[in-house]
Amino acid sequence: MADLKSQTPTQTLDVLGRVCPFPLVLTKKTIEKAEAGTLLKVLCDAPASAEDTIPKYCEKNNYPYELIKIEDKGYWEIYIKKS
Amino acid sequence: MATTKLGFVVQRPPYRSENPKLALTHAIASQSVEVYLEDGDIVTCDIAFVGDGVLNCLKDQKAADHYGLTSTETQVKMALLLDINVLICKEDLDRFGLSEDDIVIDAEEFGADIEAKVVPYAEIAAMMEESKHLLFF
Repeated sequence: MADLKSQTPTQTLDVLGRVCPFPLVLTKKTIEKAEAGTLLKVLCDAPASAEDTIPKYCEKNNYPYELIKIEDKGYWEIYIKKS
Repeated sequence: MATTKLGFVVQRPPYRSENPKLALTHAIASQSVEVYLEDGDIVTCDIAFVGDGVLNCLKDQKAADHYGLTSTETQVKMALLLDINVLICKEDLDRFGLSEDDIVIDAEEFGADIEAKVVPYAEIAAMMEESKHLLFF
């Protein structure tokens, strides 16, 4: 995985409280609108989206991403670079 | 690269059955399946409200107050948020004496970019003709 966490995100998308498939589709929509080079930070507490569909989407589109589980808060931070 | 077009047709009113909610849930869920498909393959979907089904689009529904459930009004707005094409039959709205002021047209408060379309039934029939799979609820 790329070292994206140490960089300042261009944009943050908060999908906390949203169930699958909203995190994926809203992430997709945000990335599609963003300019190339954008680093998007997604806050997500839906396990299936954070650990499965959003990473799969990034892999299919060759977008580098970094997934970090914030154990004490019960959500994930997902850093996605629009290449 | 292949596009699979799904058409959901909702004919039943809200509250008396789960059918309209299922249609909306399936339409919304369909927008996430592309991650499991071959590269470039996508799924698009349209959802049309006809007959008594147009009542699902009424504003100011009280499902949460009476049943503790998300209203179909909210789910229609969620569909718009995900850029799903929402069609509402004009003739059936007229039959109930409803206008565009009475129904959900946009979901700006959730950040949706598109609006529902009130269209003649002929346009809904055309959508059904174009769909690869049609699902009736």
